Order: sequence, then C-alpha cells, then structure tokens
Amino acid sequence: MREIYRYRDLIFALVARELKVRYRRSAIGFTWTMLQPLLTMLVLQVVFSSLFRMELEEGTNNYPVYALSGIMFWNFFSQSIVASMNSLKGNSPILRKLPVPKEVFPLATVISGVINLVLALVPLMLILLFTHHPMTPALLFLPVSILLAALFTLGAGLLLSPLAVFFSDVVEMIGVLLSILMYLTPIFYPMKILEHSPYLPLVRFNPVRSILEVFRDPIFRGKVPPLTHLSVCFCIALAALLIGAWAFRRSSDRIPFYI
Amino acid sequence: MADDLSIRLETISLCYRLAKQRVPSLKEYAIHFLRGSLAYEQLWALRDIDLTVRRGETLGIVGRNGAGKSTLLKVISRVLKPTRGSAQINGRIAPILELGSGFDYELTGLENVFLNALLLGHSKREIQAKVDEIVDFSGLGDFIRSPLRNYSSGMQARLGFSIATAWVPDILILDEVLSVGDVTFTNRCEERIRSFHDSGATVLIVSHATQAILKNCTRCIWLDDGQMKADGAALDVVNLYLREHGTEPGEHAGGRIHTAS
Repeated sequence: MREIYRYRDLIFALVARELKVRYRRSAIGFTWTMLQPLLTMLVLQVVFSSLFRMELEEGTNNYPVYALSGIMFWNFFSQSIVASMNSLKGNSPILRKLPVPKEVFPLATVISGVINLVLALVPLMLILLFTHHPMTPALLFLPVSILLAALFTLGAGLLLSPLAVFFSDVVEMIGVLLSILMYLTPIFYPMKILEHSPYLPLVRFNPVRSILEVFRDPIFRGKVPPLTHLSVCFCIALAALLIGAWAFRRSSDRIPFYI
Repeated sequence: MADDLSIRLETISLCYRLAKQRVPSLKEYAIHFLRGSLAYEQLWALRDIDLTVRRGETLGIVGRNGAGKSTLLKVISRVLKPTRGSAQINGRIAPILELGSGFDYELTGLENVFLNALLLGHSKREIQAKVDEIVDFSGLGDFIRSPLRNYSSGMQARLGFSIATAWVPDILILDEVLSVGDVTFTNRCEERIRSFHDSGATVLIVSHATQAILKNCTRCIWLDDGQMKADGAALDVVNLYLREHGTEPGEHAGGRIHTAS
C-alpha cells in the first residue's frame, strides 16, 4: 500500500498518457467521448421506441436513459477489465527490468476508465435535460456509485491481469465470459421481463447487476439507492477488491518470469 | 546485520521453469494437467550464491554469456525473487539493467525524463528539481525536445544513464552499459561512478569489457554456470577468467562470431 502511494506520481503520469493516447488516436478525439452517447441515444430512440413500446417500470418510461446508463456502466466495466489485462503485457519491458510495484498498471487503467465515465456523464446529463427526465438531488450521489463501481472493477482487474500474463488465451476467454455476463445484466431490458423466466435468479444474484443499479438509481429513478442494497454492494465491492489484491500479491513475484 | 553491509545474499538459487511442452494457453494447461503430463525443464540460473558486499565497495562481475550475471543483478535489484535463499539489500538502488528500459518512443526526450524517473520511484517534484541537470549531463541539446524514435542508440543510452544517475543511490547497478556511447561520454560516466563511489555508494558492474572492470572495480566475482567460481581482488579474478576464456573467439568482441545456442 505504502509502496503504491510512493509511486502516485507515476500512476498519474500513466493515466495522463493513457488518456492522451486514447484521444490522439481518433480523428475527432475528445469530441468522440461526448458524441458517442448522443448517437447511441438516437439509435435507441429510433429502434426501440418505434419497434416495441412497453412500460419499463411504474411511472418511468424513458427507455433511452435506462439503456444508456446501463451501456455507460457496462462499457466502463468491460473495457477496464480488458485494458487492465493488457496493461501488464503492454509494459513487459518495464516489468522485466525495473522494480516497480506491478499494481500500478491495472490501477492506472481503471482510473483512466473512471475519468472517461465521468466525462461521458456530461452528454448523459444533456440527454436528461432534452428528454425532460426528472433530475433530482440524488444525482449528487453518483460519485459514491462510481467509487463502488471502480473498486469492484479494480478487484476484477487485479484478479484477472496476472492470468493474462501466464496464459495467452485468457483474454479471449474473458471476452466470451463478458458477453455472457452482459446478457445476464439488465442493460437493455428491464428486470420485469424476467418475471417468469428460469434465468431470473442468475440475473438477480449477478453482482454486476447490483453495482449497476447503484449507478442507475440516481440517474434513471431519481433516487438514492436503498440502504440495504447499498450495504450489500459495498460488501461486494470490498470483497472483490480484497480477493483481487490478494490474488495479485500472490502471483506478482512470478510475473517477470512469464512476461 | 552490521551497518556497513550493503548487500547480503545467502545461498541464493534461482530457477527458471521452462515448460517442456509449450503451454501458452489455459486450455492446453488444463489438458496437460488432467493427463498429469505437465513436465518442466528446470534451468537453474543461480546456484547457492553467497555474497556479501560492504558499503562503498565497487564490485565487478564477469562470466560468459548465460552464466547468470544479469539474473544476479535482477535479484539484487528486486526485479526477480530468488527461488531459494535470502537476499538482504540495504538502501536505495539505482538499477540500470538496460539503459532506458521503459522509454516511450512516441514521447520526447524530455517527457521520457519524467516517465523514466517516475518509474525509478522518484516524485514529480524531485524530478522537476533535477531535470535541467539531467538534460545538461546527457549533452543532447535541442534533441531533448524531439521524439525518442529519432534518437540513435548511443543517444538513448546517454539519456538513460543521465536519468538513472541523477540521484546519488546507495547501490548503483550497471549491466553492460559502459560500452555504449562515445568515448567522451563513457569517460563522463566513469567520472560520475567514481564520484558516487567517493560519496560512499556501492557500485556493481557487469561487463564483458574486462578493462572497464579493472578500471572501476576493486573486487570482482566470476560466475560460471550459475555458480560462484572466484571472488577476490579485481586484477586476480580478471586474470584468472581471461586465462580460461581469453582465447575464445568472439566472446570478448561482443559474441558476434559465437553461434547462438
């Protein structure tokens, strides 16, 4: 822990570099982060509201906001995991030659993912405004939601990134698992449609769903998540982080031998 | 542990476990694991190395390619954890296992000064205080504002050395880095190493250029096949080493004639 704190300036530099690379590569750079949610929203509006109309939950029927908040959360989660798995491999010359605490690479990856998520909140707020979706003070709770999501994601990233060093096919496998997990998470569909489905328990006890709802509550439902749900999510995030950190510690000595 | 000890290695052994079958994927690993056919070839890069280095000593390390010299330096730099034995390292290390490891070729020289020094564990503030001195010592002039991909390997080496030695460490570790760069720069490097030595730093040098070892070190060890073959005054050990290997073609000219095995 103290070791990582000592390298905090390095972490900031890695985050800055990652963001710079991301925005330099694409032609319109930073604008893309702003534009992408708006375009997705247009598609969602056209496709879903004209194809099938259903009530999502009592009182609220703003499908684009429902789906978009889910997509933003999912993109953060899945992209951060894949990126942290690649972060160790991508820095192999450093890990082979310098005694840097290896956690800094997945950590920097997740932090830059958080920054992207926060930036994408700007167009989301614009959409809330334009669709006359009620904006409540509960939105101020979002930093806590994002923190929980970040801790959970970091835990998963720490758990999986050494595996990607030891076995080259893990990244692809995780890709497949992530797409299954995506369907088990209510991103595009409301929980309601699962009422009589045998898959309901799988979705209900999916920890990613729990964390997603903490993120979605302030945006879509305009309320702070209930305390019981929050404490469950806090435990999930903490457990993920502890397991991830423990697994990473255990395997980190072996990383330079395999990279 | 006595206060004047800088490095103490006790029966250090390090094993690279090379899989006999290539098992790069989890699927294959699972298959081999279930069949019970996971066999590894063990390559002991270091065997029972005992080494004590006092503060302020300059130690040279000689040996043929693959004798374990770089592995030993990686253990001392805490990059690799030994399979067996205990390593006690006192003080701050400046490891130069490869000049400019961690350079980003898309960034400018100046940006790389920051990135590289951060990787070595310095804070941004420390670097800001030293950056002019680093650029000055590297002698790169206006090149410092140009991306690193435009640098020659000698220029990269100069920048790497300037960064790594900008702070006086307790232990300076140099792996085959004195032979790169031109003569003037090599002289400046050696001058700096001597000044570190004068201020009480421990210096470890791996080099195939035995002259460089004789010039910079008082003590020398000879590693052969992962084992300590000799340990003593630099001149004695180097002579011993040269008597056995000095006539081998290519070995000291950089191994160019040597066929890779």
